[in-house]
Amino acid sequence: MRAVIFSWEYPPRIVGKLAEYVSTLATDLVKNKVETYVVTYHDSITGAVEEPNGAKVIRVTNPVHSHVSLLTWDLTLNQEVERAAANIYYKAQRQIDVIDVYDWHFIPAAVTIKNALGIPFVYSVDSLEDHRSPAANAPFNMAIRGIEWLGLFEAAAVTAKTDWMKNEIIRIYKVPKEKITVIPPSADSWVKDIISVYSSVKGGSDKP
Amino acid sequence: MNRPLNVMMFSWEFPPRVIGGISPHVYFLSKSLAKNNVKVHVVTCDFPGAPEHETIEGVEVYRIDSYKNPSPDFATWVYLMNLNMQKEAAAIAAKLPEPIDVFHAHDWLVATTGIGLKHVFRTPLLVTMHSTEIGRRDGLHTMTERMIHETEAWLTYEAWRVVCCSDYMVQHVKWAFGLPADKLSMVPNGVNPHDYEGLEKHDLRSFRLKYALPHEKIVLYVGRLVYEKGIHILINAIPKVLSKTDAKFVIVGSGYMQEQLSNIVKSMGLEHKVLFTGFVDEASLLKLQKVADVSVVPSLFEPFGIVALEAMAAKSPVVVSDTGGLGEIVQHEVTGVKVYPNNTDSLAWGITKILTDDGFASHIRENAYKVILEKYDWDNIAQQTRGMYEAVLGEYSKSFWA
Repeated sequence: MRAVIFSWEYPPRIVGKLAEYVSTLATDLVKNKVETYVVTYHDSITGAVEEPNGAKVIRVTNPVHSHVSLLTWDLTLNQEVERAAANIYYKAQRQIDVIDVYDWHFIPAAVTIKNALGIPFVYSVDSLEDHRSPAANAPFNMAIRGIEWLGLFEAAAVTAKTDWMKNEIIRIYKVPKEKITVIPPSADSWVKDIISVYSSVKGGSDKP
Repeated sequence: MNRPLNVMMFSWEFPPRVIGGISPHVYFLSKSLAKNNVKVHVVTCDFPGAPEHETIEGVEVYRIDSYKNPSPDFATWVYLMNLNMQKEAAAIAAKLPEPIDVFHAHDWLVATTGIGLKHVFRTPLLVTMHSTEIGRRDGLHTMTERMIHETEAWLTYEAWRVVCCSDYMVQHVKWAFGLPADKLSMVPNGVNPHDYEGLEKHDLRSFRLKYALPHEKIVLYVGRLVYEKGIHILINAIPKVLSKTDAKFVIVGSGYMQEQLSNIVKSMGLEHKVLFTGFVDEASLLKLQKVADVSVVPSLFEPFGIVALEAMAAKSPVVVSDTGGLGEIVQHEVTGVKVYPNNTDSLAWGITKILTDDGFASHIRENAYKVILEKYDWDNIAQQTRGMYEAVLGEYSKSFWA
């Protein structure tokens, strides 16, 4: 199986807890014979490298340096994520089984790639805009919530780390509960459970 | 290739959504390409009452959800709209029976759609740069202006070929983004002379009386009433023209200078000689251009100058200031009169010359119309554009993407 992870943080770029989590996941996926790529962002270390853990990591930067907000930064950076993912796809005889997207930042790229190339994606929800900015109704927050909704709608499967988060996703975005799998990071079967979600969507029913 | 070329165009406006010059440009270009055996799929923003998908004279038009939630600002809206446009264009392209051969983007307003899809489908991207942020603002002064400028630079970097509508714009874009000369192409903007055919003579006589007395010649200005269009130069030239001949000045368009300009006219005691019509409908505009004895384009800054072409197509003699694209459209004393920019004496001289010499006026009228048919005909422009697509595909076929 060939999987590509999209995450806006990955060591050495550590913003929150996501970087370590995704790094551990990539290491364990490789151990379980999943060919693993990570597409992430870095300002100065760019390009593709094979890390000691066996994962192939592609770091892209934003060609547009001046921005008015996180939103414009994100929406331009997504084209570079698409470029990196397309390069993996075409070099690998046009075969990527699944894309796993962490949080909303690279949802736009995942949705375009799904529509264009028929590669299904899993939306792994780490946090939601409603919790990060409670009761914020500015156009800025509305746009991020719109992207989260789009990701939940277009994803072949959704994963959450806790039952609480699963319920919050259902409450806020009215996602059918069958679409969401809870995989606690503490569980012994953690990686196996993630791989089984990947397998369930692989080959996707919505291939064009 | 045994099948017609398959092109997907991105434009933020397409009729009936008309905001500026890109909408009519993409409309006529795509229709003319269709007549020249190119299959064009236009992906554009939605508009109230316009269908999501329709076929216009062989052109497939798709209107996408243009993101109608409130946006923090215009530039952020552009990127949010592009998120939707790219997603929907990806789905449309993937479902077509034949693959898209070329993506063609118009201005930075669809930059991220074009750049992303280029890589995802590994299909060459062309861009037409209709204007630039650094030109519009005369420099870069805010973070938003820088962001737009850098997006334009990125778009021209990613494009296989960058198209501009005048030699002036080719030089400007080359300078603004530091592009190699062989990446740029000049394909002029077009005009449709057929729009002015069949306007009945009798109808025009009574139509003309709504604007001017029978003995008054009509001097027509069409454009926004803003500083860069030089309308204040024309207003100041009026007494100089009237000292030589009788005329009515018809000013079409609106803008922030309107009140100031009409106050100047009032202070000169010339209210009976100047008519501010405001924005007029398309049908009346065509007739006005047809009945005008001279059309004046006194711009101080002008990337192309489509209004001069329209006047030439309507067989109205033109007086233009020698700047930007205007200087290229008109050949002095052959297809029009060129005057010094920002100079009322020179402008008054040009207008008077045409109004007082009928032989000269008709000489210019005929020459200008001939050039319109030869150089600015949409059919001709479509063939040049198609040639450019074919050249790009020839280069592409030798690349590792093919």
